[in-house]
Amino acid sequence: MKKDEFQRDLRALLVRIPKEEQIEIMKDLEEYFENGKLDGKTEEQITASLDSPKNMAKELLVSYRLEKAEATATTGTIFRAVWAIIGLGFFNLIIVLGPFLCLVGVLLGGWTASVGFIAAPLLVLANIVIFPGIFEWFDIFASIAFCGIGLFVAIGMFTATKVLMNGFVRYLKFNTKLVKGGLTHVER
Amino acid sequence: MNVQFKKGVLNLCVLVLLDKQDRYGYELVQKISDQISISEGSVYPLLRRLTKEGYFTTYLQESTEGPPRKYYKLTDTGREYLHKQLDEWRNFTDGVNTLIEEGVQND
Repeated sequence: MKKDEFQRDLRALLVRIPKEEQIEIMKDLEEYFENGKLDGKTEEQITASLDSPKNMAKELLVSYRLEKAEATATTGTIFRAVWAIIGLGFFNLIIVLGPFLCLVGVLLGGWTASVGFIAAPLLVLANIVIFPGIFEWFDIFASIAFCGIGLFVAIGMFTATKVLMNGFVRYLKFNTKLVKGGLTHVER
Repeated sequence: MNVQFKKGVLNLCVLVLLDKQDRYGYELVQKISDQISISEGSVYPLLRRLTKEGYFTTYLQESTEGPPRKYYKLTDTGREYLHKQLDEWRNFTDGVNTLIEEGVQND
């Protein structure tokens, strides 16, 4: 592969990364080619040693996504980071997707419970409207108590969500430092 | 060598190479690939990441033979990180070496 071709392919794959970062990446690459040529290498030799533009772009995308997720850990940024990491290979799918689904499960369960508790008085009211015959004061009081518990659970979940999400981003970062990516095609 | 293994090692290699002197990207890549087989394309993303995490700073310097080169310089945070990683690496390799020696003796 010639240099122009490599650069064109890489640029096309980096569209999701901000412009100024793209420019910086292309500049670094340009410098790499120049130095390689000074070293007496042909463009083909240099592109061959660089691995495919695809793998390079994947790595760059993972770093970018992780950075985003670290800056603001929202469901969207974390999901995109997880997706980018899974793109690196099958091994990553296993070590990232498992904990991710677990995280989603815990958060979903906690929030569902708290919302259900808080809505308990409403459910009792609905019950009264639909079956006026079986009214019990006990239902009202119990549902108000549940509503209170639900509020506490929600407050707890709010903190737990923050902590768990930040923790998960740290886990993702830790993994990308250790785990493969871009090194697949170099075994001698 | 196992692929999973190499990425963490690559981190350490880059840090160690920058401990005593500043180097430019191509030089770093060549130094490493002289010793171990790596995909040279994976070094640049790594350099970018470590720079963003504050372990390196970069500066441009004119060279006599070609275009200006981007040099990487280890920061204090980077040096601290390097020493921590180095300790971990030594502990790890000592452990593995001990196991290997014991294994060889038993054969």
